[in-house]
Amino acid sequence: MRLTVFNGSPRGEGSNTKILLEHFINGFMTTEGNIYELAYLSRVKESDNFVKLFREAEHVLLAFPLYTDCMPAIVKTFIESLEPLCGKKGNPDIGFIVQSGFPEAIHSRYVERYLEKLAARLGCRYKGTVIKGGVEGIQAKPARMTRKLFESFYQLGKTFGETGKFDEQIVRKLAKPEKLSRFDLWILKLLDKVGLANSYWNTMLKGNNAFEKRFDKPYII
Amino acid sequence: MKITILNGNPNADNVKFDNYLKNLSDLLESSDHTVTILKLREMDIKYCRGCFGCWVKTPGKCVVADDSHDICCEYINSDFVLFASPVIMGFTSALLKKAHDKLIPLIHPYFELVQNEVHHLSRYDKYPLMGLLLEKGKDTDEKDIEIISDIYRRDAINFKTSFCFIRLTTDSVEEVANEINGV
Repeated sequence: MRLTVFNGSPRGEGSNTKILLEHFINGFMTTEGNIYELAYLSRVKESDNFVKLFREAEHVLLAFPLYTDCMPAIVKTFIESLEPLCGKKGNPDIGFIVQSGFPEAIHSRYVERYLEKLAARLGCRYKGTVIKGGVEGIQAKPARMTRKLFESFYQLGKTFGETGKFDEQIVRKLAKPEKLSRFDLWILKLLDKVGLANSYWNTMLKGNNAFEKRFDKPYII
Repeated sequence: MKITILNGNPNADNVKFDNYLKNLSDLLESSDHTVTILKLREMDIKYCRGCFGCWVKTPGKCVVADDSHDICCEYINSDFVLFASPVIMGFTSALLKKAHDKLIPLIHPYFELVQNEVHHLSRYDKYPLMGLLLEKGKDTDEKDIEIISDIYRRDAINFKTSFCFIRLTTDSVEEVANEINGV
């Protein structure tokens, strides 16, 4: 199987999307004869090549982080560049991965509807959308905390490489929690009480000597 | 009220869309509103790179020097913001999305629970109300409009406000002005 992967993260090679994709691709490549190509949409100067890659693709995987409850602007720019391919014969199958910093899947469900419609608009067979929350910060986490996540993406890639489909069970598992449970909420409120809910941000703010300015309102006239 | 219109029309040849906004702005000004139209395609806006510098390095400001600072300033000092765009490939333009992504300095990185969901905290005390004006494309259908509208309604939670309405450029300028007058 030939897979063309578009990494739609504005962070490009430093992105969390890249890490998830690496595990997916490692799994995908365990099937003999599978090959893949990878393009970074953050390299906006190469945009002509993206359209060519898409047109020549057999199976496409487009992965991106959620930006303001939707796709990042570089991804929308890419989608607009595909407009001439609408209704053309021979467009590739397409699947999506949407990852976000929010812990719950619900934030990404709205763009999921857009992506399904986009596949129909392009005349691409829709393979589904993998939603994974809680991804921001994975690069700062110790390996034992990300092992399960990476293993899931590896397995997802592996079964995709074998069947050409996303494994429904893995997709369902990755999307959990859809919304926070009462227990999750209790934990979050507790972390907030002891001042740990925002330690990820505070560490960075302090590292940049910006902690004291964290509540600045620079644009008030 | 102070109103900002984000003109997300990427195509200078689409004069009809720009004229619609101009007429709308004139009508709103005649009823004592102050209106600023930001023609995004003529502004220098860099893509958000997701660096979070606006949250952890220079709180409240993008670290990149571009016209997004003017957009943020107009936005946060408005009572109402109209997001205006032709529908391209089933969504508002990449140009408008580029500006939209650059509004996150207006929000705080800290988490808070809104309706038992994780969202980010407000940075400012007050945020403008949001409305959406779309020009249908040849391939735009009802489902597209519904999807766009639902995404904006969700995003209004992130931007600490209410999504007031969605209107099409097939509606008269008077109708849209009345809608804005009523928010």
